[in-house]
Amino acid sequence: MSTHRMPSEKYQNRIELLQGTLDMLILQTLQWGPQHGYGIANAIRCNSGDLLRVETGSLYPALHRLEKQGWLKSEWKQTEAGQRAKFYRVTPAGKKQLVSERDRWAQLVGAIAGVLNPATSEE
Amino acid sequence: MPFWPQRKRNRRERDFDEEINCHLRMAVRDRMERGESIQDARAGARQEFGNVGLIKDVTREIWGWGSVERLLQDVRYAGRLLRKSPGFAAVAILSIALGVGANTAIFSLIDAVLLKSLPVRNPNELAAVGDPSRTGGVSSGGGRVDMFSYPFFLRFKAQNQAFSDVYATGRSEHLDVLLPNGTAATSNAGPSARFVTGNYFSVLGVPAILGRPFTEEEVRVPGTAPAVVISFGYWERQFGRDPNVIGQKLIVNGSKFTVIGVTPPDFSGDIVGRPTDIWFPITMQAQANPGHDYLKQAGVSWLLIMGRLKPGVPLAQASAETQVLGRQFFAELNKNDSTAEELQALLKKKIEVTPGAKGFSRLRHDFSRPLLTLMCIVGVVLLICCANVANLQLARAASRGREMGLRLAVGAGTMRLVRQLLTESLLLSIAGGVVGLFFAFWGCRLLLQLVSADNHVSLDVHLDAAILLFTIATAVLAGLLFGFAPALQTRRLDLVSSLKESKSGQFQGFAPRFGRALIVCQIVFSLLLLVGAGLFIRTLQNLERVDVGYTRTGLVVARVDPISGGYADKDVNALIRRLLGKLETLPGVESVSVSENGLFSGTYSSSNIDVEGYVPHTLADKSNDSDRVGPHYFETVGTPVIVGRGIESQDAENGAKVAVINEKMARFYFPNENPVGRHLFDGEGAKRFAITIVGVVGDAKQSQLRLPAPRRYYTPIQQHSPDDPVAILNFEIRTRGLPSSAVLKELRPAIKSVNANLPILDTNTADDLIGQDLDQEKLVARLSGFFGLLALALSGIGLYGVMSYLTVRRRTEIGIRMALGARRWTVIGMVLRETFRLVAAGIAIGLVLSQAAAAILEKSLFGLSAFDPLTVTLAVLVIILAAVMATYLPAWRASRIDPMIALRYE
Repeated sequence: MSTHRMPSEKYQNRIELLQGTLDMLILQTLQWGPQHGYGIANAIRCNSGDLLRVETGSLYPALHRLEKQGWLKSEWKQTEAGQRAKFYRVTPAGKKQLVSERDRWAQLVGAIAGVLNPATSEE
Repeated sequence: MPFWPQRKRNRRERDFDEEINCHLRMAVRDRMERGESIQDARAGARQEFGNVGLIKDVTREIWGWGSVERLLQDVRYAGRLLRKSPGFAAVAILSIALGVGANTAIFSLIDAVLLKSLPVRNPNELAAVGDPSRTGGVSSGGGRVDMFSYPFFLRFKAQNQAFSDVYATGRSEHLDVLLPNGTAATSNAGPSARFVTGNYFSVLGVPAILGRPFTEEEVRVPGTAPAVVISFGYWERQFGRDPNVIGQKLIVNGSKFTVIGVTPPDFSGDIVGRPTDIWFPITMQAQANPGHDYLKQAGVSWLLIMGRLKPGVPLAQASAETQVLGRQFFAELNKNDSTAEELQALLKKKIEVTPGAKGFSRLRHDFSRPLLTLMCIVGVVLLICCANVANLQLARAASRGREMGLRLAVGAGTMRLVRQLLTESLLLSIAGGVVGLFFAFWGCRLLLQLVSADNHVSLDVHLDAAILLFTIATAVLAGLLFGFAPALQTRRLDLVSSLKESKSGQFQGFAPRFGRALIVCQIVFSLLLLVGAGLFIRTLQNLERVDVGYTRTGLVVARVDPISGGYADKDVNALIRRLLGKLETLPGVESVSVSENGLFSGTYSSSNIDVEGYVPHTLADKSNDSDRVGPHYFETVGTPVIVGRGIESQDAENGAKVAVINEKMARFYFPNENPVGRHLFDGEGAKRFAITIVGVVGDAKQSQLRLPAPRRYYTPIQQHSPDDPVAILNFEIRTRGLPSSAVLKELRPAIKSVNANLPILDTNTADDLIGQDLDQEKLVARLSGFFGLLALALSGIGLYGVMSYLTVRRRTEIGIRMALGARRWTVIGMVLRETFRLVAAGIAIGLVLSQAAAAILEKSLFGLSAFDPLTVTLAVLVIILAAVMATYLPAWRASRIDPMIALRYE
């Protein structure tokens, strides 16, 4: 029995925390074209100025879940460096999902901003 | 594994492995480009990636194959565990197999007798007219509402509006069949045959697999269709499935019949429990059963009627219509022949139209109560089996505490453990179910033999979808039942204490309270079954010992059919004299007499008579059983003559008309006077005649052991009139010096030597004839006894298991006690006391419940109350004895504990 295994409950909590946002970030990243898992993780990290580090433990389950929901499709292709990798791309349904998630995100941000700055909203 | 989700899963698994590898490769390359060494890059990439196994697990769940895969994993794991403890697995599987097997066996009988529909087209459209528990018999008189005459059938078929078509079927008399190759068909009893109307096969929708069924045309004019259809079974037994059987000729009671068709293998007629071998056109009755021509006799009821209702006609409407037709018919029939009160009584009775899908069956009527009783019994046996396995599981779960704790610690969810345990239980129960199916198959044969040793009952019992479904359902239910306890216990697991626990995996987290409760349940159920078994066995004993009013041992009976043998009314007396003379000369025979109805033969007569000086209030006051007997009948069977005389040689054809009445009749009609010399009056109008009473004899039972003997009068058999011929002769033979079986063997040859063509219906000892009346009681008594002992054994094993486990747990305590000077006997006493607390609780609850249950049994019992103290006491003693036996070994072992070892153990 391997000793470094972590209790699964703790692990799952973290997924839940990220879940909604991560889906949106992945869909958004894939707007610019098909990408593999490693590339998606790197893109999110770079585009967030190294602030957001997506754990592979969250990324792959999320990718597979999005694919299962029909928002992504995957195929095996060569990378620019000549390596085989599994590329994901957004489906039309995925694009719609992205739009709605962005709307929800905007609402959430607005709402949180409203809570944080009650004075401004009263004026 | 040839299981498709598994294949698909493997592909996905490989795919995902590769995806992860690609990720790692790219990460390593990027790190190396940034200047890390290859080792550092690899280690870094892996570390960054995280726990591969865990990520795979989580991703797999998302694929949705998680549950199937998990199930397979659980099953594999459970299988491994069971292989590791073969003893436990064997005992558990065997327990379940016994429980499930017993249930399946009884259920398959219930299925065959009570549930199964006839294998015909749309059986649910069929409706039976009259009483569907009748299967045969002939009754002459004013008409009946359960069986019908041929003239009634013809009118009913023509006039009824409720049925699209109806057919009639009647029992055949004994048949002697000569096969085409000249040999007699094997079987003493002769084939079972029925007369049917020409539309029988078309109404039922049964085709012929060879040849053709009857047509309505050919079965119209009496005597013109010498044809038979035979069953698949008869074709197989007597013709070896000869495909050229069509067109061959059988000689039946002297007449030639051509085989025109063979029915499909699953169809054995519409009488459940009595498969038909040969079907005759009803219009050939006079040829196949010489002397029995009922076609024109409106007063002879012998036919069962079945038909298909028109679409949308409810049973109630069909009944009402049938009732009207029946009344008209009865009124015309009885115009001349019977008194107004007899007709009124008949018209008051209802002709019922009932669902006919299950065919006609006497078994259904006779055996539904015993079979349902047995079903309850085996249900309780299954509960005991479940309790046993649950107990075994608990004891095992206790020693698996550390394993469970460890699995919890590495992140298995509680639900996952519960699921794992339930999977194990279900695996056990399904294995038990499979073994149980074999037990059931074998048990069924045994059961059928128990139901009837001489095969006068034959049932179609084979594995079918219904039975399989029942077995699976029972096994799964049992699995859930006994798997539930240990699974529930898991939820109480305390992680820390389970890991800290030191003693070789012994584990305090599992409370033994549940195990004790299970033991109490087992004792309760065992007591219930033992009390039930005791009551049934004592009932059977009482019935076997019941005074029938004559001496049943040393008495044998031979039954012949003079009418089928070609004896006209006036020749019967000569036949009687010749047979009496012949049988008297046999070795070992003390005396011989003859009677019409015999003993427990299924035949009885009754008639309405007037008694001198008695005014009847109801028709029932006039009705008395009757029998016609030969000289020395009472001396031969052993019924005492109380007043006057019995029937003597002087009461011959030309003698004065006399009668002997039984005590019950004497008390009823002549409460305070001597009946000898008084008169009975029989017949109506001009045919009315007087009979002088010459004696009173003791009451005797000729049928129905459970009921008191009815009022009965006996007249001399030789004084019969042409109106009322003697249909059957039963020769009663009192043996002396030789065993009954030896005399029995001589009977057939002796009768054949007088007339080889005289059909012999049966030869048997009075003991066996009476015994046949007890088929149901024997079945229930033997099986409930068997299941009671089985339950006791199972409970004993359960008790043994729990007590062993408890003493092992208390090893240290016992060691300390012994170190402090406790004696061996004190220790044994301590363990036994523990047992007795459980047993006493079980017995107390069991007694209360058994009294409640016994009230339901009251109807099935005879000669004892449901609260029979002897039975209850015995059952309690047996339980206590079994408990002592089951506990003694663990107790003895506890007393051998070495204090030093026990204490060091800690």
